[in-house]
Amino acid sequence: MSRRRATRLGVLGPAALLFAAASLDFVPHAAAEYADVVLNKRAEREGVRPVVFPHWFHRIRFRCKVCHSELGFKMRVGSNDVLMSDIIDGRFCGACHNNQIAWGPERCDLCHTGKPGLPSGIYGGHETGGPGRW
Amino acid sequence: MRTPICFALVSLLVFGHGMAHADLAKGKAVYEKTCAVCHASGLAGAPKYGDAAGWAPRIKGGVAALYGSALNGKPPAMPKKGGALDTPDAEIKSAVDYMVASVQTKADAKKDEKKPEDKSAKSDKSVEAAAKSPPAAQAAAAATAAPAPAAAPSQAAAGAAAAGAVAAAAPSPAIGGNADVNAFNRLLKPAGKRNLPPTEDGIHDPTNDGTAALQPPLAAYGNLPKSNAGNRIDWVQAIGGKKINPRWDRLDPKAEPVVMDLNIIREVKGSMPDVVYPHKQHTEWLDCSNCHPAIFVPQKGANQISMAAILLGQKCGVCHGKVAFPVSECRNCHSKKKDLPVAAAQKTAETK
Repeated sequence: MSRRRATRLGVLGPAALLFAAASLDFVPHAAAEYADVVLNKRAEREGVRPVVFPHWFHRIRFRCKVCHSELGFKMRVGSNDVLMSDIIDGRFCGACHNNQIAWGPERCDLCHTGKPGLPSGIYGGHETGGPGRW
Repeated sequence: MRTPICFALVSLLVFGHGMAHADLAKGKAVYEKTCAVCHASGLAGAPKYGDAAGWAPRIKGGVAALYGSALNGKPPAMPKKGGALDTPDAEIKSAVDYMVASVQTKADAKKDEKKPEDKSAKSDKSVEAAAKSPPAAQAAAAATAAPAPAAAPSQAAAGAAAAGAVAAAAPSPAIGGNADVNAFNRLLKPAGKRNLPPTEDGIHDPTNDGTAALQPPLAAYGNLPKSNAGNRIDWVQAIGGKKINPRWDRLDPKAEPVVMDLNIIREVKGSMPDVVYPHKQHTEWLDCSNCHPAIFVPQKGANQISMAAILLGQKCGVCHGKVAFPVSECRNCHSKKKDLPVAAAQKTAETK
């Protein structure tokens, strides 16, 4: 019980710091492209860089509905639990990132491109908060 | 049947023992840098470091076959050279040796070698202690590198501290106005910070091999209609003017969207022009179910929408301000001039 609490504190402490940092340091990330999403719920814990998902790149090729309806991505940063095992099995990103439509899951370095330490969230100068801010 | 194979492997190991020692150190370094990401935790079905049962069927195919899988990749999840394409073949091979040795030494440990056993006992303890700690730390522990597990969390903490320091330090130079005058205003993106290539945009890691391979936004935006906000691209015009033709269906490039041409006019309080909501432009991109009924109840008068709610990320704010054009573009939505002031003006003109 106490160990659990300790680990929770251990996680929350840096997380709170990061959050405080994130809410203040919009400036350093202002150069990101509008609607870039950083996914770092698990990535760094698992020892890889965070994922950067560029909306702009995908919306040139697919309409919103393809991912947000067919593939089951919820329209809320942080609400999608995407595991590498899902992707390899052809769910979520894996529906296209399968070496047929786009590069496959073995190309770690093309998706896991984020700077270490970036918190999950939407980048590039968003103006509305709430669900998307997560 | 099994004994001759084992015997052959053991004899191979014993035979190449002297040579292997130097290589194993190198192999360990490569393993920790690249392979451990998956092979420490067993991510995506990778055989775990030290897991004899996981490795046994693979070793049966011979070490040469393992080298082949490591160098050329193996579906579904093993990337070419573990994803580190710039690693020399010899180093990849020594990493394979190192992982294979982890299984072998465990088997051999019972016989003679004591050192690895001691270390593995130690690492077992630390794994237990870090029962719910990240696999990366476990990986490092399993790799018998004592300082590594301590390094992982401390790195994270250092990162957090550094981020905190940056945040704390940020305001003073910004007020000093050394770079961009409006740097404090996150809604105003200075011209020099628009549409930067991934290597310079501040969120991609420029030291990552793949970052440079990503398409820079401007390479794709070439002839797309411009706008003053967001990506600085008018996506609605781009799709309306057939400058882009994103797929409506994941697989079928010819699938056409079900476009619904129905404008909803929402009268607003105050002097702002009324809002015209066009279903047409929205159904070009979205399915009905994206918005109805979760975000907007499909019933007239059932939706209370305010700018406050939108700014909090509800209603239109689920997309607008994050991925669709931002709320600073007031007149994109507030586009229908009110009749009232005009009528009032006419009335005053008549009375005169």
